[in-house]
Amino acid sequence: MIDKERRLFFKKASLGIASGAMIATPTTLSATKEIKTTQNQKIGSYIDLTLCDGCKDFDTPKCVSSCRDKNSIHFPEPELPLKPYWPRKQYEDWSNERDRVDRLTPYNWTFVEKVSVNGEDVYVPRRCMHCDNPACMNLCPFGTIEKSKEGMVHIDRDYCMGGAKCRDVCPWEIPTRQAGVGLYLKIAPTLAGGGVMYKCDGCYDLQAKGELPVCQTACPKDAIKFGEFEEIKALAQKRASEIGGYLYGLDEAGGTSTIYISKVPFEEINKAILKDKEAKNDKRAGRPHMKVGIDDKMSDASMWLAATIIAPIAGISAAAIAVHKSKKENSKEEI
Amino acid sequence: MKVKRQSLSNRIVHALTAISIFGLFFTGFGQMPVYKRYMLNEVPFMAWSADYYITLWWHYFFSIVLIAVGFYHLVYHFMRKEFDVLPKKGDVKESVEVIKAMVLGKEEPPSEKYLPEQRLGYAFIVFWIIVMVITGAIKTYKNVLGIEVDGIVMFAAAQIHNLGFFMLIIGVGGHLGAFLFKPNRQLLPAMLWGKICPCYTKNRHSKWEEGVKECEIIINKYGKEVCKEELIEEDKQSKHSKTK
Repeated sequence: MIDKERRLFFKKASLGIASGAMIATPTTLSATKEIKTTQNQKIGSYIDLTLCDGCKDFDTPKCVSSCRDKNSIHFPEPELPLKPYWPRKQYEDWSNERDRVDRLTPYNWTFVEKVSVNGEDVYVPRRCMHCDNPACMNLCPFGTIEKSKEGMVHIDRDYCMGGAKCRDVCPWEIPTRQAGVGLYLKIAPTLAGGGVMYKCDGCYDLQAKGELPVCQTACPKDAIKFGEFEEIKALAQKRASEIGGYLYGLDEAGGTSTIYISKVPFEEINKAILKDKEAKNDKRAGRPHMKVGIDDKMSDASMWLAATIIAPIAGISAAAIAVHKSKKENSKEEI
Repeated sequence: MKVKRQSLSNRIVHALTAISIFGLFFTGFGQMPVYKRYMLNEVPFMAWSADYYITLWWHYFFSIVLIAVGFYHLVYHFMRKEFDVLPKKGDVKESVEVIKAMVLGKEEPPSEKYLPEQRLGYAFIVFWIIVMVITGAIKTYKNVLGIEVDGIVMFAAAQIHNLGFFMLIIGVGGHLGAFLFKPNRQLLPAMLWGKICPCYTKNRHSKWEEGVKECEIIINKYGKEVCKEELIEEDKQSKHSKTK
């Protein structure tokens, strides 16, 4: 009931704000802690790399520390000793690296990638892109990944088996795994599963209450902004055209709800990320690439759905023809 | 000379069902993240098995074959009013008697065209195929961009689909396990070539009117030489015990 009332308030409020928002600057728009949206509309976000400075004056970027503060209650407490994923000899464990803020881990759902492009430092906050048609959600064999009404993709940690398929099918390999926690320990700890998968959930619980994700409210530079997707998209496009810059996330993997704005091409940013990883021989998960124009691997799904609908019709038609033919043959034999 | 037991249509349906179900088992296992963990992808020529998109498209392909064949089968037999394979009252009790007789090597109660446990097995497998098709269709539907399915429905569909997967493995395992019993092996050629031995038909399926009639015509015309030796012997013994 409270949610409904709150939503109604936002709905009314957004009517007045929407037109003004289109011409306002990103900075002025972030003055409120409430998300402006009409009911059931997709929420999007932009991350403006021209504004983000990686919180140079702080120990930890504010988006990262606020995310950790909010979500620390969900961080895994694995049962020790951890067991390898038989027949393999390894397991995924981040429990001894809980303080790491330089990559995605089960204890760190967002981080700021610092890269140097043409001699200039670029700070790239990274987290789940919240795809429009998320492969992780579609292909989770246990149906434990959901998308909220606002479009935030989140994992049900109580039922996750930690097979890490979501990470394998994610275009950016975002989810990270912690062994020694979760349902698999109660079912077949040696043979199946491997822990629980963790990633940014877009603060869907806050969004459901009409509140903004903590990374936005904590950002001192107003570089992150959530709002109605179309509004956010328009703002991002306007900003990109103003700076003669580039956008990332609108078309990647068939479309996501996260749009990056940059004055340097994302191809260059991606190259810099890969180069840095190579230089550090960093092969572990948690530092996603930024390849441009990633295909939507779920794009064939509509074709298969159509085939699934046609299959019964084909079967019924073939049966009718076969029965008709056999009856005809029988009547010939009788004659 | 043998008795016709399965039409060409039934044999094609059975073959396509078997191929698609085994294909679905393999690709379905591939959707559970196991092939990479269990290193099947490291076996030569099997690297593709760990690619979820490849196994998914093949899973879709086999499911479409199964759905088409399933609808064909249901409509074909419904239109021809052929319901021999559907379970009948008392099948559970009779199945126990037949299995008991097979295990103890005693004489089985007479059967119709299908053995009672065959009818029960058929119903079990068909039921779970229907469950898999419905839950699989929900899963396919929600994969399309722009289609939102409630989280609880998705969770339930995924869990029931997984349960159905294991139930079908049990069903198919039971179906194949039936061939551990020697008498059942006589039925194998029926699904491959469509025909079975007349003496076997007379002995075991004596309540299958059409089959028995055809047997008598064949035996009267060609003599018992058309039967397998051991079945002639069984036929004699069966007659002997009946006269006693």
